[in-house]
Amino acid sequence: MTFFKRYLLPRIIQYLVVIFIGTTVVFVVPRLMPTDPIQQTIERVTMQGTYIDPDAVEELKETLKELYGLKGTLFEQYAIFWKRLFRGDFGPSFAQFPTPVMELISISLPWTTILLLLTTLLSWVIGNILGGLAGYFSHYRWARILEGIAMFIRPIPYYIVALGLLILFAFIFPIFPVVGGASIGSEFKLSWNLIIDIIEHAFLPALSLIIVGTSTWFITMRLIVSNIVTEDYVSYAQSGGVSNKEIVFHYVIRNGLLPQITGLALSLGQIFSGALITEQVFSYPGIGTLLYRSISTGDYNLMMGITILSIIGIATGVLIIDIVYPLFDPRIRYE
Amino acid sequence: MRKSLRVLLLGLVVCSFILGSISVAFTQVAPQIPRNETIIVDILGGRVVNPKRFNSWVIGVSSGTDSGIQQLMLEPLWCVEYAKGRVLNVLAKEPPIYNKDFTQMTVKLREGIYWSDGVEFTADDVIFTVETLKNKPGMSYNTEFNMYVDKISKTGKYTVIFDLKQPNSRFHTYFLDRWGACRFMPKHIFEKVEDPLKFDFYPPISLGPYVLKDVDPAGYWRLWERRKDWNRTAVGKMYGMPKPKYVLFIYYGAPEKKAMAQIKHELDMCDLTMESFRAVLQQNQYARGYRKDFPWVVNIDPCITGITLNNAVSPFNIKDVRWALTLAIDIVDTIGIAFDGAATMGALLIPPTPAYLRWYYRPMETWLKNFALDIEVDGKPFKPYDTNAPYRLAEYCKKRGYTVPPESQIKNVFGYGWWKYAPEVATKLLERQGFKKGADGKWLLPDGKPWKITITTGTNPAHPQYRNGFAVAQQWRKFGIDVEVKTSETAGTEGTYGKYEAITTWPAQEPWGGHPDLYRTFSAWRSKYVKPVGEAAIGAAGYISRWSDKKLDGIIDDMEKTAWDDPNLTKLGIEGLKILVEEMPSIPTFGYPGVVGWDEYYWTNYPGAENSYQQPYHHWPNFKFMLPYLKSTGRK
Repeated sequence: MTFFKRYLLPRIIQYLVVIFIGTTVVFVVPRLMPTDPIQQTIERVTMQGTYIDPDAVEELKETLKELYGLKGTLFEQYAIFWKRLFRGDFGPSFAQFPTPVMELISISLPWTTILLLLTTLLSWVIGNILGGLAGYFSHYRWARILEGIAMFIRPIPYYIVALGLLILFAFIFPIFPVVGGASIGSEFKLSWNLIIDIIEHAFLPALSLIIVGTSTWFITMRLIVSNIVTEDYVSYAQSGGVSNKEIVFHYVIRNGLLPQITGLALSLGQIFSGALITEQVFSYPGIGTLLYRSISTGDYNLMMGITILSIIGIATGVLIIDIVYPLFDPRIRYE
Repeated sequence: MRKSLRVLLLGLVVCSFILGSISVAFTQVAPQIPRNETIIVDILGGRVVNPKRFNSWVIGVSSGTDSGIQQLMLEPLWCVEYAKGRVLNVLAKEPPIYNKDFTQMTVKLREGIYWSDGVEFTADDVIFTVETLKNKPGMSYNTEFNMYVDKISKTGKYTVIFDLKQPNSRFHTYFLDRWGACRFMPKHIFEKVEDPLKFDFYPPISLGPYVLKDVDPAGYWRLWERRKDWNRTAVGKMYGMPKPKYVLFIYYGAPEKKAMAQIKHELDMCDLTMESFRAVLQQNQYARGYRKDFPWVVNIDPCITGITLNNAVSPFNIKDVRWALTLAIDIVDTIGIAFDGAATMGALLIPPTPAYLRWYYRPMETWLKNFALDIEVDGKPFKPYDTNAPYRLAEYCKKRGYTVPPESQIKNVFGYGWWKYAPEVATKLLERQGFKKGADGKWLLPDGKPWKITITTGTNPAHPQYRNGFAVAQQWRKFGIDVEVKTSETAGTEGTYGKYEAITTWPAQEPWGGHPDLYRTFSAWRSKYVKPVGEAAIGAAGYISRWSDKKLDGIIDDMEKTAWDDPNLTKLGIEGLKILVEEMPSIPTFGYPGVVGWDEYYWTNYPGAENSYQQPYHHWPNFKFMLPYLKSTGRK
């Protein structure tokens, strides 16, 4: 009961306040942008070659305002927005009118979620284990080689790593596809063939993310561990004859993980923002492209839908980590 | 520990090989679709974010319109064909018939056209579409049809009569496809739909020669199959059987990825940047551009590029300043910087395509040569037109090591002429307006402040607009003006609200492309449509220059009273263009240089410059008219 009152309840209230403020900011900011969705729609029509009678334009603007729900004061629009949001409805996309934003997100989100969830977790696990080992056994040659590789990869812009993999494995040695999330003609019914096909298409994007992600986690963990190994309890364990395996996994890596767990929570929350460069380089489906399109077309509702999901994702990730922290760090007690 | 590491690394390597060996080499066509019967083309508009939506009758919404909807699935009444400069009768049997005061339009439909589900296309579909669009706000052409259509009726199955609320000699242009038009809904499908705005129209039926076979749920491709009854479509009746059995529209991504795909023969037709096109040429012996040799680019695109000046802002509201800026540009140097010489210069605010050269550039040549500014050089009025400019451009290209076309072709390839590079005359024009040069050689405004021009452009470095911006900035800097190029994601919006000085948006509204009527182009400069700075302009190109002229208004009024097929339209066009030359509200530079890559490994007989039987783009609605002409090479 004390835990609930003194810690969990304030923490949940804080969580809700963060989401409320974030959502409000997300509502206001797009409206401060110089791009006007109505004007964007008209420009889209004319740039495509269709001729709009100049005399019809003013009337058309009014019609679009009505349809897009942009009539009324900012406060009235804000009230309608919350009313809809409580029903889990972000409203219609402007650029894909009248398709609901949630429908568009649901087309792209699964691709992003699977790709980023797996790659984030894998690179976190691999990076932390290798970083921990390399930090503890820093005097070994293999540790120095691993560190060298990570230090070499980390500063390379992600775009170059991704493009390099693409050229190597999709062009020079064409063993992986260069576009899409599945082969042309694939039947989207659960089958072994479909799973293999999806893995093949996701392999290069995933590999690029894992390479860069692992090197980042590796370097930070290596740095944390290099401080931990100088701690008295490590020296004490070593002099007490505790095995290296025991020390590195139970004393060193476990202690080093604490800041990394917070980092993981934030990274997992950011899944909802997508991975725009990955999607662009590998032409891989995902929510990043959708977000970029929404910004460039002034599609407020779609922009808000994706950003709010991201806010909720990050806030939830941090809340969960805060709650389960004692599992990782026995020194923390909610009393 | 070492053992564990070895196991881990070995595991990673094995995983890579297992995944890699599942398929040795990837092909982008499904196994059951023969590659030699399929033409693979690029989706210009990118990934389709709403892949299972085929309803293209909602205003401003493109659910992959250029991924087959407009090229293979839907048909218009008429279609612009700019390679030859003509208008094709597609679903209409003949051009529109107007009554004397343009309050009634009669359309006669082609007979024997069927939807892909076997239902005949008739006047009922036309009437249903127009009435549905008119009655439902948010649908395309809703405002226009409410403004003009009083009543729509039929006399028999194949004749539609539009009674108009007010005279409109160009009402039919709403049905004239120029990368967009009012195309028709199948009445027998849409009449059962409760809300046509929300209806996805999936799977769609087709009026064109192909029908949807498969679609990527992630939005990267759409696969179309030739209809068995292709001979019951307009394309079949006009040109015969389209040769590819399948058409795959696919979005590979950035130009370098398209180049990679084309080098591997996995993409037959695509838009490229000049750099990626050169890479394809080097690595694919079957690749070609619109021209087989330099300058490769499509020079028949019905669009003129250039610099739009904000005539509502000082000093661009002064004609002498606008002309001084024009004469400070060396067009050869500009095209050299922007496209390494590979573009067709255009001195008028209309594109220098073969059709417009025939209709306007050539007939106006004598007038252009004699046209003089009201300023004297060596005691004679200064004549700014330079017929030698294309030959200078050809010389530049030769010096760059390119093989240029023979002299008889120079004008067709590089243009008829441009404005003289005359910085000394530009200086005189500015000086008589009170401008002077400072001690540092830079121009000062009449009030003594330094003259600084900001050119606003977009953020895509491969785009002709962007390249125009930097090339012209270089010219004006050389002339002594402090010029900054501002790249902005919101360049379009800044142009719309007049918050710019010079911008690289097209300097004029594109004309129809396949017809000499310039009403569409001139209307953008009509006095009643000019908006003050801070208020949104009605449209983009032309409108945003915020310039107008009473004489031009008169010409536009006369055009409205002149029938679409009246030869006087060209005369009115010439008179309007003369005003534009005299006033130079914005500066044209060169026709849009389209860079297309065509792979002749599986298919040949593309409409290249040597055999320009059709417009050359795969993203234009006219693509369907090209398909019956393609020839298979027989390669598997």
